[in-house]
Amino acid sequence: MAAGDGVSSGAFDVSRRTFLRSAALSGAGALAGREASAASRTNREDQGETMPSYTVPRRAFGKTGEQVSILGVGGFHLGATKDQQEANALVGRALDCGINFFDNAWEYKEGLAEERLGTALKGKRDQAIVMTKVCTHGRDKSVAMQQLEESLRRLGTDHLDVWQIHEVVYYNDPDLIFRPDGAIEALAQAKQQGKVRWVGFTGHKHPDIHLKMLSHDFPFDTVQMPLNAFDARFRSFQQRVLSEANRRGIAVLGMKSLGGSGEMVTHGSITAEEGLRYAMSLPVATTISGMDSLEVLEQNLAIAANFKPMTEGERKALEDRVRAWSADGRYELFKTTMKYDGDLGRQQHQFPVAEKMPA
Amino acid sequence: MADTSAAIPVRPFGKHGDVRISALGLGGHYIGQAADEKTAIRIVHGAIDGGATFVDNCWEYHRGKSEAWMGAALKGKRDKVFLMTKVCTHGREGMLAMQMLEQSLTRLGTDHLDLWQIHGVAFENDPELFIRPGGAAEALRKAKEQGKVRFFGFTGHKRPEIHLSMLNVGFEWDAVQMPLNPFDSHFLSFEQLMLPELNKRGVAALGMKPLGGNGDMVKKGAITAEQALRYAMSLPVTTTITGMETLDVLEQNLKIAQGFIPLAEAEMQKIREQVQQAAGDGRFEPYKTSLKYDNPEARLAHGFPIDDQSVEVKEMLKATQNEGHPWPQVTA
Repeated sequence: MAAGDGVSSGAFDVSRRTFLRSAALSGAGALAGREASAASRTNREDQGETMPSYTVPRRAFGKTGEQVSILGVGGFHLGATKDQQEANALVGRALDCGINFFDNAWEYKEGLAEERLGTALKGKRDQAIVMTKVCTHGRDKSVAMQQLEESLRRLGTDHLDVWQIHEVVYYNDPDLIFRPDGAIEALAQAKQQGKVRWVGFTGHKHPDIHLKMLSHDFPFDTVQMPLNAFDARFRSFQQRVLSEANRRGIAVLGMKSLGGSGEMVTHGSITAEEGLRYAMSLPVATTISGMDSLEVLEQNLAIAANFKPMTEGERKALEDRVRAWSADGRYELFKTTMKYDGDLGRQQHQFPVAEKMPA
Repeated sequence: MADTSAAIPVRPFGKHGDVRISALGLGGHYIGQAADEKTAIRIVHGAIDGGATFVDNCWEYHRGKSEAWMGAALKGKRDKVFLMTKVCTHGREGMLAMQMLEQSLTRLGTDHLDLWQIHGVAFENDPELFIRPGGAAEALRKAKEQGKVRFFGFTGHKRPEIHLSMLNVGFEWDAVQMPLNPFDSHFLSFEQLMLPELNKRGVAALGMKPLGGNGDMVKKGAITAEQALRYAMSLPVTTTITGMETLDVLEQNLKIAQGFIPLAEAEMQKIREQVQQAAGDGRFEPYKTSLKYDNPEARLAHGFPIDDQSVEVKEMLKATQNEGHPWPQVTA
């Protein structure tokens, strides 16, 4: 259901997790929507017996030469699975159905999310494009390199496929990242050392900040951003950043296809299928979606495996339909509030923690 | 440098050169945070006696307490001030604005406002909702026809782009209120993007949040209160509105404002440089980056979650307990 780029620690983390779980529980019914609900019900009945066989389509992963599944597994929610067994089942099932992209971040659940993924991928590492994110939030290269070692250890691997700078959401982050001895140098060094194959950055705040990152002409391989039908008309990454990334041949990783916590769906503006289909129909490599239960995974698998791109006309019709709800950013709280800005980043930028300033 | 016996300078109200208001304005939100009504009245009287003629308020401040206490203070003194309050439609219809106007006039104990402003223009679609048929724009014009308000304006603290779009919505604005302080000069800057446009058009520029709204920039040592207030008052604005919830703060501000001489550009630049680094992420301007300063009326009208720690929300909840107190005791 909800997309991948989340927050890390503190009391806020717990409350968000609780909320996400409750949203996930309503998932198969309300979330899946009219079209998908029948299929989803069948899937659940069949689980463990005859699981439907799905093949999630793949696409070119930017200029890397790899092929990536159009649906990726979000790391924050993988860290929110109830135990390792559930994480193993989720990752195993995703791989069996052709999903090969796995998102994560050094700061998700204080390392638990990376550990869950690492354990779940034991013996299957070579089937996956493993991505994690480095959480310097303005600090220097040495912090980044130290986090890289920790991420590799937790993920049980000697290299990452994709390493991205996490949560570039403060207006001075690009300056801090590109300063001498800044995190950008860590990306170059890690790539040179063969510890990471491709590098990029993520953020959910404002196209201006993404464009400032791109303006340095650093050879990014990937860039992650929120992409959904609401974004099309509001502080739009689709209009301003997606085209620029496409022009540069950078692989685009879409996220927050349903608003970050599924609120676009739970409030009844769109169905999960509409949201995911819309996001996957854009010129992106993959769409990362948070799935913290097998139920939500099955719902998304059905959508991705049966994916037919929306035409431009269909996309426009959906944008028009949600126009009243997209105009003030109420369902893109990651852009309009601090709700999705993690405590570690807040701390580095001297903002109050989430508990003190929830939005 | 400041001559404490001197008056607070008065400046022309935009293109209305015959109307002149004090360079220091008394903020309405903090009046509702005074220890009690008696203290609030003493602050308002102290400000007026000290030469402040511009008083700010808002329909939704402290669920009406700010307007009511100011109304009590203005008894017999209404003609000494240029009275402003704000209406909190936040995109909702003009009829609601007219109802709020009647409440504001009653609480403030007057039959007319000098300036009525659209409060908290903070969302990208606010300008469109304001000007739509049946929207608040119609209420503003109607109120003027009825002689209940003299001038129109709007306020907001979120983004200069939203202000520009409101300015260009096709309405006859007399005033615009915005956050102006040294940090703003570097970050999503109203000073850079909005202020020159207002000056060019003869729209009165009203500065607010000279200390960032909560004074954190002073408390954390990034700047002194005097530096920040002097900086804001030295910009090409008609007035600088600042909150004063105690007589001490009033005293301190009057000292700065009386006989005020604007800083030279070189001094302004020095202050800008002093705060440049800390300004880059907006840490001292949370009204631009978070919802913290968006009141429940704005959030509810736009479908955003309300904040159960906000004083307005606490007052909203307690107000239903019917304890017999007009203003429930809650802390921010």
